[in-house]
Amino acid sequence: MANKKLVPPGLTYLADNITGRDNILGATKKEGAKWAKDIAFSENNDTIFFAGCGYQYSSELDTLMSLIRTIDKSPISTEMTMRLAGLQRKLGFDAGSIYRKVMTRGGEADALPLISAVKVLEKIGIKPGYLGEEEPCCGGLLYYIGMHKEFTEHAKSAYTRLKSKGVKKIIGIVPSCTFTLRNLLPDAVGENDIEVKHFCEVVADNISSLKLRFPEKVKVTYHDPCQLARSLGLIDEPRRILGAIENVELVEPEWTKGEFATCCGGGGGFEAVFPELSNILAVNRAKELIETGAEIIITHCPGCIMQLESGLKEMKVDNIKVLDLAQVVAMAMEV
Amino acid sequence: MSVFSEYKKNLMNAAHNERIRLALSRGIASYRSNVNNALEKFPHTVEMAEEVRAIKARSIIDMEKLTQQACEAIESNKGKAYIARTAADALNIIGDLVGTDKLIVKGKSMTSEEIGLREYLEEKGNEVYETDLGEFIIQKLNSNPMHILSPAIHIPKEDVAALFSKITGEELPPDDIGKMVETARKLLREKYFEADIGMSGANVVAADTGTLVLIENEGNINLATGAPPVHIALVGMEKLVPTLGDAFKVAEVTWRYANYTMPSYVSLISGPSKTGDIEKVTTYGAQGPKEFHVVFLDDGRTELAKDPILRQALYCLRCGGCLYECPVFAVTAGKFGDKYFTGVGAVWAAIISESIEKAASIAYTCLMCGRCKVRCPMQIDVPAMMVELKKHLIEGEGDTAAE
Repeated sequence: MANKKLVPPGLTYLADNITGRDNILGATKKEGAKWAKDIAFSENNDTIFFAGCGYQYSSELDTLMSLIRTIDKSPISTEMTMRLAGLQRKLGFDAGSIYRKVMTRGGEADALPLISAVKVLEKIGIKPGYLGEEEPCCGGLLYYIGMHKEFTEHAKSAYTRLKSKGVKKIIGIVPSCTFTLRNLLPDAVGENDIEVKHFCEVVADNISSLKLRFPEKVKVTYHDPCQLARSLGLIDEPRRILGAIENVELVEPEWTKGEFATCCGGGGGFEAVFPELSNILAVNRAKELIETGAEIIITHCPGCIMQLESGLKEMKVDNIKVLDLAQVVAMAMEV
Repeated sequence: MSVFSEYKKNLMNAAHNERIRLALSRGIASYRSNVNNALEKFPHTVEMAEEVRAIKARSIIDMEKLTQQACEAIESNKGKAYIARTAADALNIIGDLVGTDKLIVKGKSMTSEEIGLREYLEEKGNEVYETDLGEFIIQKLNSNPMHILSPAIHIPKEDVAALFSKITGEELPPDDIGKMVETARKLLREKYFEADIGMSGANVVAADTGTLVLIENEGNINLATGAPPVHIALVGMEKLVPTLGDAFKVAEVTWRYANYTMPSYVSLISGPSKTGDIEKVTTYGAQGPKEFHVVFLDDGRTELAKDPILRQALYCLRCGGCLYECPVFAVTAGKFGDKYFTGVGAVWAAIISESIEKAASIAYTCLMCGRCKVRCPMQIDVPAMMVELKKHLIEGEGDTAAE
């Protein structure tokens, strides 16, 4: 009865990347750590900034997803996604990096949320360490798709690696990585002596020490990422942060906010199994958000950013930006 | 084509159907505003839901005992009670009670959908009328229900007008919902009194008194269970609670989260009709049915109850609130599911469906976004159930539910 064949192909591909290459995209670790090349991190790893696969490989993720979407719409669909994965493994060929070059999207813009977050932390007096190429993948996806043996193994290895670097406290930024590190990892490992906080908690706790003013008057809306709002329970924090920024007016959908926020359509590896449906859901959520009349959609998750951007693109809306909360705070700090 | 590919194809066909999306967007907007109104008007419901969750948690563990107790109570009320361990058992029991060439009026029941009761009775040469308006529309369209409470949620009014125009040969305006409802009333009215048998499910059953509680607005269940000489009810064992007092609480929470301040009708049925008006001699078969049969269905429920995480699926009151909160359901309706829908539907598919692939396909369609859990009066943790179910399916560990 035990049967891995029941796992849809798009997911086994991502899972294999985690177990084989320690990141969700099967990219080389050097690609991921590139964003941090000009940042001076603390040598001390007591408190580290955990960047996560989502932001570090977001350009790879984005291009790979457009590829998967194109394939999904073609008649060969699902089975092909699997073949693509097999091909990538066999030839050691990195679809992400090839398509990234084709689409000439640099890594710089995608890394902005990370660079911004580190700047904000510095401003409130926190200079964290960063493990760079040695940052383990949280492995959360393995758990969510039901591969618990693999997850437990991965979790033990990740935990050991974190401990061996002397990590005592983690400031995470990707909601699902942060939840995995905070809740799932300790459960799997049976130990719980690394403190895990999310970036927006840390900022909200120190909000009075920041003077924030956005460069111009803007109407913004905020999209709660599922994991941030419903798993980590961080609903008030992002709003407190936005409320402290001068020139920012928050307008929200009537029903679908906070704990009732609508998923962007990118949850739990869903986008890899049902890319076309995922895109429809992204459009639906983007619609709910722009109906507020906001000029900027702010959210706080690399998956949501990718989904909402693709939703807006599908609707041919090009006058509304999607920004990460960390970026918005950093922009408001510079004035 | 593999089970998954076929499922995905159907799912995507629904996702590209603008009619479904239109009908659902209307339904969702109206549900949200109604349920908020109902909860504001009766704010004690939220606390009562917590109490009900505890009642359900206890009852699911005691399901077997409660079923025995309910059977005894029903028998002592001069009804007949049966326990069906499988869907086939239930069909056989009901098939024997019904026979052939009968006219049957039926209230909406997901449990009867689960075992394919209507189709079975029709094959045996009976004429079966679904009397719930949504279910009647579905039956006439030869379609499947796509929502547990509003089976025709995916069908916009314009399509209903077209259907009824075809049946009556009289042109119905596409906007006049009142006229559509009136047409259904005319088509069904006489059937209740001509019928040999009335059938229903139950929203909750009190084990101590053997009482079935049925919640409705249309009056069709009242008529279908009251007018014909025989009433047969099919009830999942998860519907049992210890006392009548518990049952009232379950019922109130159910209708409130189903977006009603108060439904038009709540029927309590414990036995056949009787009278003692002549010399205090109790005589059965007064104005209501002479015979009252209740079939309790196991069909994997007692197995499911053994799994500490997946057993939450049995807490479900079938209020349908979660479906309105599911972003996937909003575009695909019941195609995200099998007999039961969305994430909870995956757990049901694992216990009642022949195909494990089907259960897996549904489980991997769940975004695990968790909004359903926020809405759910029983706080059923669908994301946690999905993780557990997938683990069972692919690793087969300590497997109870998925076997």
